[in-house]
Order: sequence, then C-alpha cells, then structure tokens
Amino acid sequence: MPSASLVFQSIVLGVLLGGLYALLAAGLTLYFGVMRVVMIAHSAFLILAAYLAWYAHRETGIDPLLTLLVTVPLFFAAGVAMQRLLLTRLRPATLTMMSVLLTFSIALVIEGLLGYAFSGTQRRIRLGYSSASLEFFGARIAVVKLIAFGMAAAALLGLYLLMKHSRFGQALRATIQHREAAALLGIDTDRIAGYGFGLGLATAAVGGTALALDTTIYPSLHWHWIGPLMAIIVVGGLGSVPGAAIAAMALGMTQSLLQLELSTTWAQTVFYVALFATLAVRPQGFFGGRLAQRF
Amino acid sequence: MAAVVAVALSFPSMAPSPYELTVGIAIVNYAVLSTSWNFVGGFTGYISLGHGAFAGLGAYTTALLVTKADLPSFAALFVSAALVAVLAVPVGYAALRVRGASFVIVSIALVLIMLLVFQSWSSFTGGSRGLVVPRPFPGMLRSEHHEVFYFLFLALLAVALLTWWIIDRSRFGMGLKAIREDEDKAQSLGTPTYTYKLVVFVVSATFTALAGGLYGLWFGDLDPVFQFSILSGAYMVLMALLGGVRHLYGPLLGAVIVGYGLEYSKLEYGDTPLHLVFAGLLLGVVVMFMPDGVIPAATGLIARVFKTGETSIREVTAAELREERGQGGAEPAPGSPGQKREVKQ
Amino acid sequence: MSAKENEQGQGQEEGKEHGLATVGLTKAFGGVTALDDATVSFRHGRVNALIGPNGSGKTTFFNCVTGMIRPDAGRTTYRGRDITAKPPHRIARAGIGRSFQLCRVFPRMTVLDNLLVAVRPPNLLAQLAGARKREETERARYWLTRMGIEHLERAEARNLSWGQQKLLELAGVLMSEPELILLDEPAGGVNPALIDRICDLVRELNAEGRTFLIVEHNMDLVMSLSDHIVVFDRGRPIAEGPPSVIQSDERVLGAYLGV
Repeated sequence: MPSASLVFQSIVLGVLLGGLYALLAAGLTLYFGVMRVVMIAHSAFLILAAYLAWYAHRETGIDPLLTLLVTVPLFFAAGVAMQRLLLTRLRPATLTMMSVLLTFSIALVIEGLLGYAFSGTQRRIRLGYSSASLEFFGARIAVVKLIAFGMAAAALLGLYLLMKHSRFGQALRATIQHREAAALLGIDTDRIAGYGFGLGLATAAVGGTALALDTTIYPSLHWHWIGPLMAIIVVGGLGSVPGAAIAAMALGMTQSLLQLELSTTWAQTVFYVALFATLAVRPQGFFGGRLAQRF
Repeated sequence: MAAVVAVALSFPSMAPSPYELTVGIAIVNYAVLSTSWNFVGGFTGYISLGHGAFAGLGAYTTALLVTKADLPSFAALFVSAALVAVLAVPVGYAALRVRGASFVIVSIALVLIMLLVFQSWSSFTGGSRGLVVPRPFPGMLRSEHHEVFYFLFLALLAVALLTWWIIDRSRFGMGLKAIREDEDKAQSLGTPTYTYKLVVFVVSATFTALAGGLYGLWFGDLDPVFQFSILSGAYMVLMALLGGVRHLYGPLLGAVIVGYGLEYSKLEYGDTPLHLVFAGLLLGVVVMFMPDGVIPAATGLIARVFKTGETSIREVTAAELREERGQGGAEPAPGSPGQKREVKQ
Repeated sequence: MSAKENEQGQGQEEGKEHGLATVGLTKAFGGVTALDDATVSFRHGRVNALIGPNGSGKTTFFNCVTGMIRPDAGRTTYRGRDITAKPPHRIARAGIGRSFQLCRVFPRMTVLDNLLVAVRPPNLLAQLAGARKREETERARYWLTRMGIEHLERAEARNLSWGQQKLLELAGVLMSEPELILLDEPAGGVNPALIDRICDLVRELNAEGRTFLIVEHNMDLVMSLSDHIVVFDRGRPIAEGPPSVIQSDERVLGAYLGV
C-alpha cells in the first residue's frame, strides 16, 4: 500500500498531466466540431513542435518557451492551409473516412521526416531548472511539470475566453453546432472552419513545447499520444469541449494513480479500457449531444 | 487472367535466387492482407487502420499454440484464426455501434493496446526479446521451405479472393454495398446493417489472422513492434485503395505495386525513415486524387486510347438522359412556387 | 376509398384498423423539444397527411416512428404491435417503408441494384445466393416500369436527374413490399408534371391497398390527395380531420401564421 503522500503526489501529477491532455483533446474536438474530421496527425504535430523547441534550444540555447512565438502562428497557418487546401477538396460523402486517411498520411510524413532529420535517437532538453522541484504538502513536483501545466491551463483559458466572448468564437460555435444554419446567418463557415482548424493545431504547438520541457522525445512517440487522446474525445463525447476536458482530467488522474501499482505501460491501458467500455455502454460518450450519436 | 495465374504459379521455378522468392512471398502475403482488409473497407466503406492487430494476433496465437500447447503447426494456425474471429466479435460490437469516426478510433486503439499488452506481458509473449516459432517442416531445406510457403500463401489468396467474389455477387454483398452508399437508407429498406457489418468484420479479421499466422510460421520469429505496427495496417489500406477497393483484384494489384516498391527500396536503401514519408505521400495522393484506385483510372484511360465502337454503359446512359430531359420528362431544377400555381389554374 | 369514413374524433380504442399509432411520443434535442407528448393515430387503408409549419416536428415524428432516432418517451404501435425504438430494419420488415426528406438513393449503384437492395432473403443461406435472381429482377423491372424509368436500369443512380431519383427512391421503397408508406415531402423540388405523376401513383397504389402517410408543404397536393390530415404544431397534433374541415380550422391558420 503506497503511503498517503505518495498517493497525493500521484493525484497532483495526474492533474498536471490531465491539463495537457485536456488542451490537446480540446484541439481534437475543434477539428471534429468544425469539419467532422478525426485528426490523426494532431499528435504528430505535437511531437513536431516538441522537436522544434528542442532543436532551437540545442542550436541557439534559447529557452524552449520562446519557440512558442514562432510555432503557434506557424501551426495556426499550417492548420488553416491544411483545411483550405486539402480537407475541403475531399468528397463530402466520404469526408470522415478519407480525412482520417489523409491526416494519417500527414502523420506518417511528419514522423518520417523527423526520423530522417534528427534520427530515431531519444532527445531531451536539459535546462537550468530541469531538475528543480517544489515541496508541496509532502509531494515533490518538478518545476517543469508545473510550467507545462501552466502553459496548458493558460492556453485552455485563452481558448475558452475566445470561444465564449469574442465575435469569432460565436461564429465558431455556431459553425460547430449547425453549419448550414450558421451559413444562413451570413457566417463565412469555410473561413471559420479554417480558423477553427488553425486553432486546433495551435494547441498542438503549445502542447508540444510543454511536452518538450520534461519528456524524452523520439519520432514515433506520437502514437503513444494519439491513442489516449482519441480515447479521451470518445469518452467525453465527440465534439464536446467540456466533455473532453473532464474526461482528460479523470483519465489522466486514473493513469497517474495506476502507475503506483502497475508499470507505466500497463497504466496506459486505462485509456483503452475506458474507450471500449464507453462504446459498449454509451456509444455517444458521456457528455456528447446529438452530434456524437451519428458518428 | 490465365496468364497472371500461370506466372504466379511458375514464379518459384523462375525466381533466380531464394531472395527473389522471399520477395514474392512477401508480396503475396501483402496481397492476402489487403484483400482481407477489403472485406470491410471495400464493401462497407469503413476504413480500418488497425487490421495489423489481427495479423499480429494471428501470428502470436499460432506461435503460442505451437510452443505452449504443443499443437501441430497448421492445427494451431486454424485454431488461432478461430480465436481471433471470436475476439473480433466484441471488438466489432464496440467499434461498429456508432458510425465512421469511432470505428477508425477503435481500430487504431486496437493496435496500440495489443502492442502495449504484448510488450508488457513478456513472460508469456517473449516481449521485445522476440518469440521463436518452430518450423512446421523441420527437415526441409531453406529454399524448399520458401517454395512450400509461397504456394500456401497463394492458396490462401485464392480462397480469400473466392470468398470476396462470392460475397460481392450475393445479397449479403448487395446489403454491404448499400451500407457503403447510405447506411440510413439501407436500414430503412430492411437491411440489418449492424449484423451485416459485424459479420463481414469477423470474416475480414479471420482472413487477416490466417495471413498473419501463416507469416509467423514462415518467418519464424515474432517481435511485437513489427507485428503490432500501425504501419502494417496502413500498408493494407494503401494497397487496397491504390488498386481500387471496389474491385476484386484491386488490393492484389496494389499489393504488387506497393509491395514490390517496399521490398526494392529496402534492398537498395535499407530501412530508412523515408519509407514512412513515401508511404505517407503516396497514401495522401491516392486519397486526394484517385480515391477509387488505379483500376478505374486505368480502364478510363484505356477506353479513351482505344476508342472502339463499343461505348460504355455510362455513356449510353448519359445520352439517354439527354433524350429524357429533351422530352421534358423530369427536370433536375427544383420547381418554383410560380410554376406550381400555373399548373393549378 | 377502402376505409370507411365515420369520424369519431380521436378514436380511443386501439383496434386493428389503426395502422400506425403513437402515444405520448416525446423527443428533445438539447433544449429544443421537437416532439412534445404527441398522441396520434392513422387509420389503415387511407392516404393520410401530416402538415404543420417548419420545425413543428414532422420529420422528427417520421424518424422516431421508423426507428432512426429513439424517442425520449412514448410508444409507437403498428397494427397493434409495439414497435417503439425497434431498429429501423425491423420496422421496415414490419411493413413500414419510407422516403427521405431530401431524396436519398444509393448514388454509385445502378438503378436496378438500388431496388434489389430491398429484397429480403428468406433465410440465412439465401444471403449468399446471387443478388440478381431472375424473379427478383423481374419484380424490380415491374416497379421501374410503373415509375417510367425502366430504360435507366443500368445507369448509376447518381447520373439520374432529381425527378428520376425521386421516382427511383419510391420504386425502392415499393420493392421492400410495405403496407404503409411514409413519404417525406414527395413534391419537394419536383416540377409540376412530375408532381401530377406522383399524385397519380399514390392514388393507384392506395387503391391497390397501400396506406400512405405524407409530409408535404404543397397544400394543393395535400388537399387534393389525402383522406385525412393531421396538423402538427410545436411537436404535437393540434387538429385533425378531412381536408374540408382542416381548410377552415382556425387553429391551423393560427399555427401557420404564427399567432
């Protein structure tokens, strides 16, 4: 039986991890909301951002956080371009399936190029504060994990405020809920969908930089992220941002607690167990509305 | 057709070296896998990216039945396929209840979860140290061994193609294709879509497991990283899509093209990450520009080059359509309210 | 007309002459109640119509009855049998066929195959039999001929004109041998000549013993074609009766004008 402080530490770590999951799952939910697309390449872009942060740090010694200034706009633009140039050209009838394949192929290309450019070697950023940690009611929490969580939380909050209080956010939500109706109200839904895609990819930029701070990265790492993230959005209900956030927190915490008793790999199976259980019991997910039922 | 069969059958005796023969085996193996995948992908339009899991399970279950339960090799192969079929039922149950997106997610999750389990449970599966499968024919020379397996794979391919053909022309197949076109509509006409999808999913998983198990017996050494690789599932999709999922020989054609390319580049350039880039780019190009595959694209081209007197059915129809419209039978344009009033008066 | 006209208001007893009946059918999407405690019945043998302003729950009613969506509450019976929340193919096999609001055919199948999909194999083994058996093909051709599109049987459905697709959809529904046919806006986007054609077909098919339930916005068509009209407003029936009664009902007028 692990001690109380160990359990507490696991809970804190679970929350910190859940924050990152929540941000990334929000991105996946955005793509699904605006385009009904399951974006397999999301986590490949995540790893790409992590590599860019690592590379910039290795070459110039700048703080990885500064790369955000470049990667966030870059990824936003890439997301818009991807939606406008690739996804809108697919036949609407087979969009869901074909977009999966298209984003899958993008993931393969990114993984392959990363492997080619940086080899399959495991990489890790060493920072002055890499080993620093805080005592927190008996729990030892690495500073970098707190920073990563802070970034995720700030990005999520920004996303929330944008969605709730800006004119663009209103248009985006209208597009997600009912595209035809939004178009009738004079919203340029194609443009909005493009921006929604860009926002989703921007979450991968933030997440990737956060990830690079305290994780060892390698080109095929994205497969270890896409599985859990997709499980999260299904459990939360496809298309529901709050659902994704709650599921991310719950599953992140469970994973963290399971690691006390099980190995890391076995603890990861919690996502898949949750995925299958959800589909068997409540296929529309636990927070999904009408949207989720048809997909 | 007969020529293709003849070439396929005589390939082992023509192959200049055992290496060419192994390339042939790999390609026929790809052909079985992508044809098996096409039972789901081609008929119902549901894209599974996780069929690698069934191949891996087929290989591992066969190997474990031979090593741990002392079953004869080929008995183990069929028992393993049956076990995978049983496992495919709950997987399909979860994956097929909702449409589209969830299916893909489950299919990918299946590979990832199997990779986790088979790597972590190393006391049973050998983990990443690998699992050695005893050869089914211990006394045989290496080249004879290859030759026997070449024909075994070929036989399996023939059975898979025959099954696909039978379903294609059957009422069952008609229902499956209706699901691909419009699932709601098919259901409203009385097709039990869920059962249909589940049945064909299990059939597909079974053939995939047979191919995987046969591969295990031939190759003789299993590693979870290769058996439960998301990439092997991706190759199945790429091959089937490239050839043409609506055609019996589409996946086979795709397997020959992609499989040859893969084996050739492995020999020339070794195992580089650029394989991923090329596979990804090719898949992207196929999805964007020829989602129906090369067979329709090629037949269209041939039809244009050899303009024979015989026109295609489509063209006749188009002509008929024009005629029909000329007579004012049915206008495609939606009638305006004004028109309706005119008739009323 | 096959059904006898003795109006008795709501028709309390659930006898066999009531083909389709719902009790308290309710369905909400998020905060919007599309069907609100809808209790309604349609007698067998007639041409029934379901009218109401946009968003009054007509299509949701169709979708609930045919099992496409699951109602939150309430029951549906067909000829005395409970069919609530049964899967759509069961309901189709119980004898209820339907068309869709925006006409839906299988775009990349031939016209003939579009009909053959609706054939029900008698047993499990028959599933693997060839899909284009002669007697079934003949039956399919019969319906195509009645629709006047038999010359298109080898064309892919997506190459047909809108009107031809409407006829094809109806032929497909008929191929599944329904007793009750639900038509969702059969005249939507169709030219006047074809509207007349569809009306004639409905009359003929009704005379041959098929019951219809039609959702339609074209009032001329509804009034001339139907024996019995139910008016929906905000997810529940507000009036019903023969066309002459409905035309002069103030509540109906109010519902349409939004009073």
